Order: sequence, then C-alpha cells, then structure tokens
Amino acid sequence: MNLISESNKKFQKELNSGTASLVLLSVLYRAREPMYGYQIAKLIETHDTNVQMMKQGALYPVLRSLENGGLLESHVDPSVSGPPRRYYTITKAGRETLKAWIEIWDHTKVFVDTILEGKNNV
Amino acid sequence: MYDTVDKYVKQLKKELRGYDPALVQDALSDAEEFLRTALTSSKNENPEISDEDALGPIIDKYGSPDEIASAYKEIEFRTSPSLSASVPKSHLSLLSKFLSIYGDSQAWAAVFFLILSAVTGIIFGFWTLIGAGISVCSIFLIIGLPLLGLYLLSLRGIAIIEGRIVEALLGVRMPRKPIFIQRGLSLSKKLRVLLSESLTWKIILYLIIRFPLGLVYSFGLLILMSFAAKFIAYPVLASVFDRGLITLGGQKYYTDVYLYPLVSLLGFIVLTLTLHLAKHVGKLHGKFAKFMLVRRESDDV
Repeated sequence: MNLISESNKKFQKELNSGTASLVLLSVLYRAREPMYGYQIAKLIETHDTNVQMMKQGALYPVLRSLENGGLLESHVDPSVSGPPRRYYTITKAGRETLKAWIEIWDHTKVFVDTILEGKNNV
Repeated sequence: MYDTVDKYVKQLKKELRGYDPALVQDALSDAEEFLRTALTSSKNENPEISDEDALGPIIDKYGSPDEIASAYKEIEFRTSPSLSASVPKSHLSLLSKFLSIYGDSQAWAAVFFLILSAVTGIIFGFWTLIGAGISVCSIFLIIGLPLLGLYLLSLRGIAIIEGRIVEALLGVRMPRKPIFIQRGLSLSKKLRVLLSESLTWKIILYLIIRFPLGLVYSFGLLILMSFAAKFIAYPVLASVFDRGLITLGGQKYYTDVYLYPLVSLLGFIVLTLTLHLAKHVGKLHGKFAKFMLVRRESDDV
C-alpha cells in the first residue's frame, strides 16, 4: 500500500515538473495585471480538485526558472501588510512559448487518451 | 510543528545547507514572502487564531522545508546561470584553444562587464560614500535614523542590481530576490539588525572597493585593447597616415617595412591575450562578488 502511494507520489511529481510551467504561463497570460506568488497559488487552489496537485511552495522555483528563461519578467514592490512582493508578468517570448506548449499539450493529451482508451488496440 | 515563520525559514536553510548561497537566499525570501502574506491573510479572516494554529494548514499547503528544498534543488539542477554553459569543453589544439576565445560569448560578456565597470563603480562608490557621509552627519537629527535605514536598504538594492549584472555578464549564479528583514520590529531594532549583519558591511566594503577596481578594470582593458588595435593597424597607420609605432618626446619611431606584418601579428596576439585575461578577470570578479554580496550560512541572520 505504502509502495503504491509512494509510486503515485513520484508519478504526480514527474507530471507536475512539466505541467507546472504550462499552468503558470497560462495563469499569467490570462492575468490582467502583474501577480505575486501567493496570489497565483491562491488562484490555482480554486481550480484544484479535492487533492492538492502540487505544493504551493514548489511554484516559486518554477516561476524563477521561467523568468530566467526570459518567459516571465518581475519586479519587487513593497506591500503595506507584509514583506515586499515579487510581481510577475508574461513576456512576448512567454506568450509565443505558451502557444507552442498548448499545442504540444493538446497532442500529448490526445495521444495519451487514445492509448488509455485502447482505441487502436488490435 | 512550526509556531513562527522564522523557525520554518531556519529549518529550510538547514535543508539547503551546502547549496549555492544565491539559491538559498532566493528560497528563503520566497518562503518569507508566501508564509508572511498567508499568515496576515489568515489572521485578517480570523483575528483570534494563534500564529501556530494559522501556520499549520498554511505550511501543509506550501510544503515542508524538505519538500521545498528538494523542489529548488531540482529546478536549479535543470537551470544553469546564463552563459555558463555556452562553451562546451573540447579537445582542441593549443592554437585552436587560443583562438577560440573570439567565439567565446563569456569572454565578450566579460569585456563588456569590465569596460562598463568604470561607470558602475563610480556610481556605486559615490552613492556608498556620499550616503554614508550624509547618514553619519544627520544621525543626531530627527530624520537621522530613518535616513540611515533608507541608505542601508538602498545598498541592499544596489547589491541585487550588481548581482543581476554579474550573473548576466559573468555567468555566476547570484540572488534574484532581496533579503527580507523580520517584520514587526521597531525602526531602531530593524536598524540594529541591519547594522549587526556582516552582509551589510561586506556590501559596503564591496561597493567602495568596486570604485577603484572598476577604474582599473576599465582603463586597463581599454589601454591594452587600444595598444592591440594600434599594432594591428600599424601598416596602414604608418604608410597612409604617417604615424609612428611609438612617439617619444615628439619623436616618431618607425619599424622597417618588412616588419609591418610582424607588428600586426603582435597586435593580434596582444588582443587575443587581452580577451583571455578579460575572461579570467571576469571569473575572479564573479567569485569575489559572490563572496561579498551573498549571505552565507556562516553569516549571522
């Protein structure tokens, strides 16, 4: 039982490592104004099903890595009620990358669904 | 399990022991930003709740220190600082290695950094010294303490900017986030924290040293490069514009015409050596900047 839950956890982690970047880019693409980490985590939480897909803290290094790759940009603003916050916005390169990633995601989804549903089984 | 944000951050720091100090600094400021914002939000919704009770579910969703540490380690493993992987190691001949510097983006980026460093060094140095002067002179006035606080915070900001320049041009991983000072402290306590941190003093020392260092880097490089350019162009300069190779006391000295190609070759060698030198000085400066501007585990918090 423990072995199964461990392997589920590992599988979820492996899936997240690719999808987190797609989700974050998509959230920031739709955002009307720059968003900070906590805001993004809260927004994702509202879409989460009963099981938490990934720890909220794991979003931050992904945001940083996307910024490092030029897909996001950020600035720090002081806040009245807490520590200074880093606000992220999507860049032009980020928007273009998102389009390509959505296409890849759509293909992957169709491919995996086809296999899982066994449509092409001989 | 964690009744304060500080305890969580301390544990996260422990989990990240031995990793790049810049990565540690980023991870700690991310955790502070999230946990303190979430804690404030939770207390606004339910003012009666204790910090410990509020933090339990927040940390549960955010992730335990070991989970978060492994998330950062994993991402860092996949992302390398800019330019650092631009030149793969290869088995080139000695001459090819010597000449390959012209195609090395790290070397050109280092040249740009070193030339730019006179300007940045003057700005950083002046700001540090003038700011220190004003802060010390006004210390007994009513605006003295806030001014000193603002000055010290501005130095942290400059350190982050310098870190970004160093990472972009020298390829050394530097912090991408500022370090937060514990909230809820009075102004005088915050000042005491800032003044007691060795990082503050290291930043001040770095920014002051950066002034003469920037001038040496920039002018040293420009002098070497102009020598190289003059030698390379010497055949044209001597035959078309009647310029000597060296001018001493108003007297021009020329070489024989058959030596022109050798002078050009010498210029080319000086230029190539200068690029190698720039790359190595850039690397050394990157290490120095990292040592001075990034908080280490041995530094006090």
